[in-house]
Amino acid sequence: MKHLPKYIRPRWRYLAVAIESTPDAEIDRGTFQREVWYAAGNLLGDPGSADADLTVYDFAFADGIGEAIVRVRRGETDAARAALACVDTINGEPLGLRVQGVSGTVRACEERYLGRRAGDFEQRHVVFADADRPASARGGAVDVSMPTGFVSATELDFE
Amino acid sequence: MAGYYEAVTAYPEGTSTVSRYAKTAADYGFDGLVVRTRDAEYDADAIADRYGVDVVTGIEVDAESPDSVSGSVGNFREECTLLLVRGGTNALNRYVVEQDRVDVLTRPMAGNGDFNHVLARAAKTHGVRVEFDFGPVLRESGGQRVQALRGLRKLRELVEQYDTPYVVSANATNHFGLRAPRELIALGEQIGFSAEGIETGLEEWGRLAARNRERTDESFIAPGVKRGKYDDG
Repeated sequence: MKHLPKYIRPRWRYLAVAIESTPDAEIDRGTFQREVWYAAGNLLGDPGSADADLTVYDFAFADGIGEAIVRVRRGETDAARAALACVDTINGEPLGLRVQGVSGTVRACEERYLGRRAGDFEQRHVVFADADRPASARGGAVDVSMPTGFVSATELDFE
Repeated sequence: MAGYYEAVTAYPEGTSTVSRYAKTAADYGFDGLVVRTRDAEYDADAIADRYGVDVVTGIEVDAESPDSVSGSVGNFREECTLLLVRGGTNALNRYVVEQDRVDVLTRPMAGNGDFNHVLARAAKTHGVRVEFDFGPVLRESGGQRVQALRGLRKLRELVEQYDTPYVVSANATNHFGLRAPRELIALGEQIGFSAEGIETGLEEWGRLAARNRERTDESFIAPGVKRGKYDDG
């Protein structure tokens, strides 16, 4: 269909979202999108969810951290923020999530808010709860693998 | 200004250590953390140095009946800066709001717990903060979430009517459960709170901690009276 004239196109806002989960978690764009729509549908209802739009535009996730850009209709950013806050698990893995910032274009969003959470990912062993255990570390954060699942710690806990 | 604080359940009860919470909280823009777990091991000064987050020692008493709460309050009051007691039954809620030595009544609407005008007034008289627990709203779905929302609404109406002091928390059991203040404010607005209301609730933890630290200070005698040199500032 012919695209709309510029003055009548919807205005968008792009939310830069930082994501964090366990090192084992496998999340792709599809699963994240599904959870976001599910959370929005539950919190805002169908009309609110449709108004907010909440399309995942750009998505990257590896070794427990990730980033996404979520497109929202202008004027609905607060509702979108609230809906995103309610995304708590993906495929049974807990999910931490934070809106880093809001931009009017994808490019501004990328340049200003994304790609800053570097830090080398490494596997190693630590002594935790009286035993030597495998762990994965990045930028001061250490996730210790315990029989019951991961325990999240930092370098400070091993000093 | 006290800044935003959050109260968390740390390892071994939760699955994140206090320092990991502090790392995340610093990223999210919190100024402090209240640790609810009594058995948690941490070095508050080292954490404050590294991440710039004020760590407050708290204990959340989880007891079956008012009798055992009474014992715990006596035992733990001296050990911690903030003393929290988990509500959740009518008997517990009623007992806790009448205890001057308790700082916060947590999760009053969980389980079979209920709240009414008598409790709201008593909580105000005795200076017990009532907690708005956003945990189920963030992490549950369906019927349980509806019940939690209903509970929050009832509690909010009573708290507004009787001007009862309150705190707000996402009640995280791991650092993934933390949400930034702006997210909590946006969520609060969606479910009927005012933005200022949520801000006040997040700041109240810090105010309480500062008050209790002043009171346990050696130079403290009574509110407004302290021992020391004359200070004309």
